[in-house]
Amino acid sequence: MAGAAIGVIISLEARYSLTRFGAKSMFPATLVYSVVQVMGPVITGLVVSGRVGAGMGAELASMKVTEQIDAIEASAINPYRLLAATRILACILMLPLLTLATDACALLTGWFAQALVEPLSFHQFISSGFNGATFNAFLPQTFKTAVYGLIIGLIACFQGMRTRGGAAGVGRAATNSVVLASLFLILADVVLVKFILVFFT
Amino acid sequence: MATTYDIATQQAEPGQDGPVPVIAVENLDKSFAGHKVLNGISLRVNQGETLAVLGRSGTGKSVLLRLIIGLDTPDSGSVCIHGQYIAGLALDRMGEIRKKMGFLFQQAALYDSLTVRENVAFPLEHHRRDMSKSERSERVRQLLVEVGMDGDLEKMPSDISGGMQKRVGLARALALEPEILLLDEPTAGLDPISSGEIDELILKLQRERQMASIVVTHDLHSAKTIAGRLALLNEGDVVIEGTFEDLQQSNIGFVKEFLQQS
Repeated sequence: MAGAAIGVIISLEARYSLTRFGAKSMFPATLVYSVVQVMGPVITGLVVSGRVGAGMGAELASMKVTEQIDAIEASAINPYRLLAATRILACILMLPLLTLATDACALLTGWFAQALVEPLSFHQFISSGFNGATFNAFLPQTFKTAVYGLIIGLIACFQGMRTRGGAAGVGRAATNSVVLASLFLILADVVLVKFILVFFT
Repeated sequence: MATTYDIATQQAEPGQDGPVPVIAVENLDKSFAGHKVLNGISLRVNQGETLAVLGRSGTGKSVLLRLIIGLDTPDSGSVCIHGQYIAGLALDRMGEIRKKMGFLFQQAALYDSLTVRENVAFPLEHHRRDMSKSERSERVRQLLVEVGMDGDLEKMPSDISGGMQKRVGLARALALEPEILLLDEPTAGLDPISSGEIDELILKLQRERQMASIVVTHDLHSAKTIAGRLALLNEGDVVIEGTFEDLQQSNIGFVKEFLQQS
C-alpha cells in the first residue's frame, strides 16, 4: 500500500514538474529511477521499522519483563542465538524482497495515474523507463535494504532484550525500536548511497 | 576442617567434614543501586537435601537463586556447583552446569507463545536430540502426569490458572532430570489448597529423585513441610540456619517475630 501511494505521489509531482520544464518524455525514466533508486528502499525500510521493529521490540521486551528470556537462559540455551539471531537474519533476507514488492506496486500505480491523464501503454512505460539501464543502476539500491534489515533487527532486539520496568518498559522498547531504527536507517542510507555511487556507478 | 577450594583448578576438594556439597555459596555480596541485598551469605546444600530460604519480601531471596544459577553475577563471594566455581565460566561450560539444574520462576515464566506441551518439551528439543520425537512426547506426557496437568496439553499459558502454570513450570524444570532444583516462591499467590497440593508434589518429587533443592519462600508452613533445613534472611544476612525446631528455640528477636507473624 505504501508503495502504491508513493507511485501515485511521484507520478503526480513528476508530471507537473516535467511538463513545466518541457521534459514530459522523461516521465517514465523519472518515475522508475525515483522509485527504484530512492523512494522504494527508504519507504520500505521506514514502514518495516515501524511495523516489524515495534513488534519485535515489544515482543522481546514482554518476554524480558515476564522472565521468559531468563527461563531460556536457565534452560542452558543461548537466548541471543535463539531469539535475536533468527529475527535479525529474517529482517536481512526479507527487506530486499519487500523492496521489490514496493517498487512493483509503485511503478504500477504510477503508470496507472499517468495513463488516466495521458494514454500510455504499460509496455511503452516499462521500455521507456528502463531504457539504457544496467543492473548496477538498480540492484545495489535494492540489496542495500539488507543493511536496513540488519539495523532494524539489531536495534529492535537490543531494545527488547534489555528492557526493564514492566509494562512501561515494554512501551518504551517498542517506541525506541521504531525511532532509533528509522533514524539509523536514514543515516546509514547516506553512507550506502555514497558507497554505491563510488563502487557501482 | 571444612571443605577447601583449590583456586588453581577452580574445583573444590573434600575436607574432613565429608563430601563436596552440591551447592556451596560462600560470602556472597550483591547490591543494586547502592542498596545491599546480600551481605556475605554462606550456605551449603548436599545431595537429597532441601533448604528453605525464608525472609520478608525484598530481602534478596530470589536474588540468591539467580546468583546460584548464574543469571546475575555477585559483587563478591563465590558460588560452587558440584565443586565447580561458576564465576567467569564460558557460556558452553555454564550451559553444561545449567542442564543439571531445574529452576521454577516465581511467576512460572512459561513461554506464552507455546502450548503447555511445547513448554515442557522445549528443553528436551534443544538438549535431548538423541531421543526420538515419540520418546520426547512420551517423556513430556509423563512429566505432565506427574504434576497433574496431562489433561491440558494443548492449552496456552494464558488459558490456565496461576497454580496450573506453576505445575507446568515445575514439569519443565524437571524435563532434563536435574540433580539440583531451585524453586522461587512455588506457592506465592496460591490459595491454601493449591499451596498444599504444590507442597505435596514437591515433597513427592524430592523423595523419588533425591535432588539437592533450595526453596525460596515467605510461607513458613510450606517451608516446614518441604524442607529439612531452614535459613532465615534479614537485611542481607542469614540470621539463623537450622531445623524448624532450632528456629522455635531461638532467642533472636527477629526470628521470634517472624515465627509469630507467620
